[in-house]
Amino acid sequence: MLTPDKFKVIGYTEEEANSICRPTISYWQDAWRRLRKNPVAMASLIILGLLVIMVIIGPNLRGYDYIAMNIPDKNQGASAKYWFGTDNMGRDLFSRIWVGARASLAIALVATMLKLVVGTLYGAAMAHFGGWVDDLLMRIIEVINSLPSLLVTILIMMVLGNNLFAMLVALSITAWCNTARQVRGMIKQLKESEYVYAAEVLGASPMRIILKHYVPNMISILILDASVAIPQFIFTEAGLSFLGIGLKTPAISLGVLISLGQQTMDFYPSQLFYPCVVLCVIVMAFNLLGDGLRNALDPRLRQ
Amino acid sequence: MGRYIVRRFLEMLLTLFLIATATFFLLEAVPGDPLSQRADKLPVQSREVMYKRYGLDKPVMERYLITMKNMAKGDFGESFVYAGQTVGGLIHDRLPVSARLGIQQMLLGVTVGLLLGILAAIKRGTIADYTVVAFSVLLISIPHLIFGLMLQKIFAGNLRWFPTIGWPSGDELWFGGWKYTVLPTLTGCFSYIATYARLLKTSMLDVVNQDYVLTAESKGLSRGRIIRKHILRNSFIPVMTQLPMSVAMCITGSFFIESIFAIPGIGQYYVTAVNNQDLSIVLGETVLLALLYIVVLFITDLLYVVVDPRISMPGRKK
Amino acid sequence: MGETKKILEVKNLRVSYHTYAGEVKSVRGVSFSLERGKALAIVGESGCGKSVTAKSVMGLIKGPQGEIKEGSEILYNGENILHYDKKQWQSYKGGECAIVFQDALASLNPTMRVGKQIMENLIAHKHMSKEEAKQEAINMLRLVGIPEPEKRVRQYPHEFSGGMRQRVMIAIAFACDPKLLICDEPTTALDVTIQGQILDIIRDLQKKSGTSVIMITHDLGVVANIAQDIAVMYSGMIVEKGKCEDIFYTPRHPYTWALIRSVPRLDLKNKQVLDTIPGTPPDLLNPPAGCPFCTRCKYCMQICREEMPEFTDFGNGHVAACWLHHEMAPKVEMPDLRGGHHQ
Repeated sequence: MLTPDKFKVIGYTEEEANSICRPTISYWQDAWRRLRKNPVAMASLIILGLLVIMVIIGPNLRGYDYIAMNIPDKNQGASAKYWFGTDNMGRDLFSRIWVGARASLAIALVATMLKLVVGTLYGAAMAHFGGWVDDLLMRIIEVINSLPSLLVTILIMMVLGNNLFAMLVALSITAWCNTARQVRGMIKQLKESEYVYAAEVLGASPMRIILKHYVPNMISILILDASVAIPQFIFTEAGLSFLGIGLKTPAISLGVLISLGQQTMDFYPSQLFYPCVVLCVIVMAFNLLGDGLRNALDPRLRQ
Repeated sequence: MGRYIVRRFLEMLLTLFLIATATFFLLEAVPGDPLSQRADKLPVQSREVMYKRYGLDKPVMERYLITMKNMAKGDFGESFVYAGQTVGGLIHDRLPVSARLGIQQMLLGVTVGLLLGILAAIKRGTIADYTVVAFSVLLISIPHLIFGLMLQKIFAGNLRWFPTIGWPSGDELWFGGWKYTVLPTLTGCFSYIATYARLLKTSMLDVVNQDYVLTAESKGLSRGRIIRKHILRNSFIPVMTQLPMSVAMCITGSFFIESIFAIPGIGQYYVTAVNNQDLSIVLGETVLLALLYIVVLFITDLLYVVVDPRISMPGRKK
Repeated sequence: MGETKKILEVKNLRVSYHTYAGEVKSVRGVSFSLERGKALAIVGESGCGKSVTAKSVMGLIKGPQGEIKEGSEILYNGENILHYDKKQWQSYKGGECAIVFQDALASLNPTMRVGKQIMENLIAHKHMSKEEAKQEAINMLRLVGIPEPEKRVRQYPHEFSGGMRQRVMIAIAFACDPKLLICDEPTTALDVTIQGQILDIIRDLQKKSGTSVIMITHDLGVVANIAQDIAVMYSGMIVEKGKCEDIFYTPRHPYTWALIRSVPRLDLKNKQVLDTIPGTPPDLLNPPAGCPFCTRCKYCMQICREEMPEFTDFGNGHVAACWLHHEMAPKVEMPDLRGGHHQ
């Protein structure tokens, strides 16, 4: 009903005029919301969580020794006793696979950490010093990048031998270049951006500028970088071990297991099958999660 | 243009020189000396003869200079393990094998990948799109190695459609003997399919949202023409950045594929040389593979200028 | 096809975009019409839905994000273009109706020669041979004032300056003598001096070929130059429309008042500060129930927040949607439109 008292001028208030109905949410809240709405990414996250749990408790779940031989039970198929069967020395494949996955994951994670740390420092140094230092450091990256990275990795493995430490060095030695380039690009762009300049003019302390502007940008770059690097490292580790250039028995990794499985492939395919499946599931989960993260974090892809 | 090419050529030589030097000294650091396995059983005198024959009696710097000089002349060294085998000879025998494998898998993989990418972008949000996406995620998550073993087990081992190992030689080196090449080619091409399908789809969806596609639509052009003339060409620019990556994939992929199918190519030989600590072969092959890769990087830069008119020849004016 | 007086009639146009956050109702029931050979300006600030309206008329709203709601009608020569089939669309777009966008650099294909981008149009709609089309493209470039058109047809968009690019866009739009031209902020991205030139070209070509024009802009200066009719849009709706003189001299909507007062003028005294409209427009995710301007309106009443006002007719096609014109409302004097106040 229209009544006269509804026709009294009441004007507006400042807050009302400036109110934006959409609640403001931070970059990370927004990213998390996008990620949560992506069922594939969430499924991958859950699978990864399960895998991590299995990698921790899996080897002890069945109570079998994964190194000691048990010849009478050799080459068995999957059964209630041995869920994934046994290998040619009668060792429980289920336990061995989780030990191997533990090694593969650990190698990939540590190598990724190394890559991110070295890359960030190197990239920051390039952007910070600029000039001839930048040119020189960039040249070094270019030289490293003019070889397919697996070649460099193989050369390093030759020098350092087939052990865990060598593997970590060999994996991260080429991988940091990409991180360094991205970090350098990001810092250079921010340095020239007007809002950082404005913050400097307004007297914000360097620490505050770094925390407020550089770190958030850096984190999203590094997260995306890591999500590509981890599956890559798992691949490479498996590949090297398969070619006999990586870890060797008695060390166990998924690559070692696959290479052992190949030797008995014609008669006992399951010994090859299970480690392959676990490797593929890990890599796929990381890849899908990475895709989801990219959609959530990359401002360019936002709609 | 001419000046740019000359400058890039000199840069390539410098890079190659740096790589050769770095590789040489890296391999010097490999523990033990490359001849000890063969020479330890021999009497002292013949051992000395042997070390002399391979030049290992000289100090490091002198050997470095000799190696570099030989490389400049095109002599990439002789095997420490198998007497008389030289890198040059190996390249002559084995490069065609790897080249054919590489070309076959790239042709097949890139073509199919690009077609699937176009399909997924055009049919966005349909079953076809989801199938391509799921398919490529699956393929990207399976390493060459597992894929190769799987194909070998199923199609050669169980079904016996194709031979398990081997590669055509002699008259059939470049053409023919297809049954041997089917499984290795398939193994290699899958990662190209996955990479290129994803890449082209992303790139096309990016271009579709550009204003100039709206302009093209506002002209009332047919859908086919808009896709061909306005979307595809612009979508190919980011796809081209993948070319060097693809060649790298081809080189490193050959390590696995050639090992699995026992194909006598340079990849398999490289792995064998590494496992045998055959340092001279490793050095020679590394430098040659680097050369190949650098040339591809150079070609990619040139292709950019051809495809994207906005990029003027680098170095012309700045 | 009967020659109606109105070349275009838009009735109750509603357009939504489906985003992550929800359905953004960009255009919420817009109606207007355009007479043959005349120019209509749609004025409003950024995000008010004017560009979406333009794209709808051009048939450029794309699914799955964009959706023109059921019940919307866009009548071109009396025919609803929303019911066109593929073939009719192809001859309508580019042939009957053409558009010039704001950002010419982004709107031209970077990897196609400029001449070819004009020729495409001619080949598609006028069925010319390549040679004829090329000659015609050169003519068009000359017509929009590009020097050395024979050389320029072979160049790429990045080799043109901003103003020259916009001329190319106009050449593309006019290539097939469209009956209806939509200009979506054609001068916003350009220098003031170039702006005038571009507007002159559009006006000349319009006079010569009798094209009807819809000019989308936020710049009232542009409007005065070119249009006979004005529609003022706010938050996805038209709040006032009428003849140019009526809108400029006797506007009836508080938003129009504020808009006119915020135009810089030469007769403003030195010490006077230009008026601005406080606040931001409402979020189109959850548009308000009442008048969309109520949160920023000096004259806001209780009723404004509750119900959407109807159009009040002031004659001569001048209408405004505001509760102030209801018989129960207090009489409010129109403020001094010259704007500016002492601080």
